[in-house]
Amino acid sequence: MGAFDLLRIAGSGLGMHQTWLDTLGHNLANINTIRSTDEDAFQAQMVIAEADPEGGVRVGGLAFTDPEGMLVHDPNHPLADEEGYVRAPAVDMAGTLTQLVMAQRGYQASVQTTKVAQDSYQSAIQIGAR
Amino acid sequence: MSIPSIEPAGFVPFVAPTVAPQAAAATAPTGGAGFGDLVADSLDRLEGLQDRTDQLAVSAATGDLDDIHDYTIAATEASVATQMTVAVRNKAIEAFTEIMRMPIG
Repeated sequence: MGAFDLLRIAGSGLGMHQTWLDTLGHNLANINTIRSTDEDAFQAQMVIAEADPEGGVRVGGLAFTDPEGMLVHDPNHPLADEEGYVRAPAVDMAGTLTQLVMAQRGYQASVQTTKVAQDSYQSAIQIGAR
Repeated sequence: MSIPSIEPAGFVPFVAPTVAPQAAAATAPTGGAGFGDLVADSLDRLEGLQDRTDQLAVSAATGDLDDIHDYTIAATEASVATQMTVAVRNKAIEAFTEIMRMPIG
């Protein structure tokens, strides 16, 4: 705890949103990662955010989506089984892109908080100045 | 300088520090930390902040910086802390010159 808590709290928000952006990018990058049916599908990462009792937010952990994925009929695929199925990740592209915008806006909001913090502290220093 | 920490339950309103009546009435020099010690302490802390910012700047230059905001926030904190220390120093000098200008006799 110090005189510049708001800056540090905003920094924790930046960190959490950066991790969220990273995982969303990872999920989108692997949206076409196909596996054979006897393997687990690509598991998308989900950030678990939790409030920090000291102020701010932190990444509590990562959750992973269902390893079942989606069975897709693609007999020409080299990984296809006898019945012509492959395992595609159960990643919803529209939902992930929506979350990408949310994470970006959250990151920008935290940046705005740092600006407000700096402005406020500078106003405090100006008290009594001639 | 004491700033109340943020409790898990929520926001704790600012409580103005109460001045002990004896301290308010005292005119004789009191023991304990003087103004000079206070300034020296805050300079030490300022140096720590600036060291941290310098380290982060080096890691940014060498490509070892994982989070950009770590550096920018440390730099902002060091900058505001420097401005605050300079403001306190200016106040002290202002008070000193005010006393020096006082006519005696």
